[in-house]
Amino acid sequence: MSEAAASPNGSPGTTRVSIASGPLVGPVLRRVVGMLAARADLPLDRLDDAVLVADLIASRAPAHVQAASVDVDLETGDRTLLLRVGPLRPGGGEALIVDATVPGVGNVIEQLADDISVAPDGDAEYLVVRLAYTS
Amino acid sequence: MRGPVSTPFLPDEPAHPNPIHASPSPVHLLLPAHARNIAVVRRALEAIAEELALPRRLVEDMRLAVTEACTNVVRHAYGNGEADHPSALRVALLPEEQGMRVIVEDRGRGLGPSPDIRGPGLGLPLIAALTSELEVSHGADDRGSRVAMSFASAPIEAT
Repeated sequence: MSEAAASPNGSPGTTRVSIASGPLVGPVLRRVVGMLAARADLPLDRLDDAVLVADLIASRAPAHVQAASVDVDLETGDRTLLLRVGPLRPGGGEALIVDATVPGVGNVIEQLADDISVAPDGDAEYLVVRLAYTS
Repeated sequence: MRGPVSTPFLPDEPAHPNPIHASPSPVHLLLPAHARNIAVVRRALEAIAEELALPRRLVEDMRLAVTEACTNVVRHAYGNGEADHPSALRVALLPEEQGMRVIVEDRGRGLGPSPDIRGPGLGLPLIAALTSELEVSHGADDRGSRVAMSFASAPIEAT
């Protein structure tokens, strides 16, 4: 995991959302991400990007998580939002990135994120996505 | 006429598919016990309530009661920077057949007098009035407190 992804500037704390795989993953994650993106003072277009990434993670992550829930750690910084998705199964981070490819559009997460990485941790791994706004 | 807009990578589903009565899908939140994080809890609560198509009145009661319970944690549970811990405030949102069960927990000083005695002290009585079932106890390992609230939509009575 890159330093930038590991510690956004001035991070005031982490919020962990754990949602049982099922129909609530998308609605809950998009609301929480949207709110924290606003708190991070991301402009509207980047807030939309963050919600889009949240929707994508919500729709793809259940196939790659280790347990029966989608867990996401969220950290806000100065115009920065960091999402840490996991624990994922071994290989799940890369698989989740690959799953984010949309025919005719390309890889949505890679296109929208400022930084994306896979962080191994024991038998699991985490997908780390950072969205930021730099004027 | 403009057709429906769909996001290419998401399944095409109506905004309100069948209510999720049969498959409860719990949501857990771990947060620092800061006042601004109460809004995060409310957002998650609203998202679930919307998906469950719960009655507006019930959702308003839930919002108020859960806000009170979280406010109690923020104001009374911790001191000396302990509130900054990432799991100082723990919230479980558990959809049920006709409503929702919400559990708000902390690992702080627990039940009893708090140094912060400002305010009218209406929090718990208010929560009790808004819930169909309320259980207040010590948290896990006898640390902190645990407020378990059940909210059920009342059946419509014939007049």
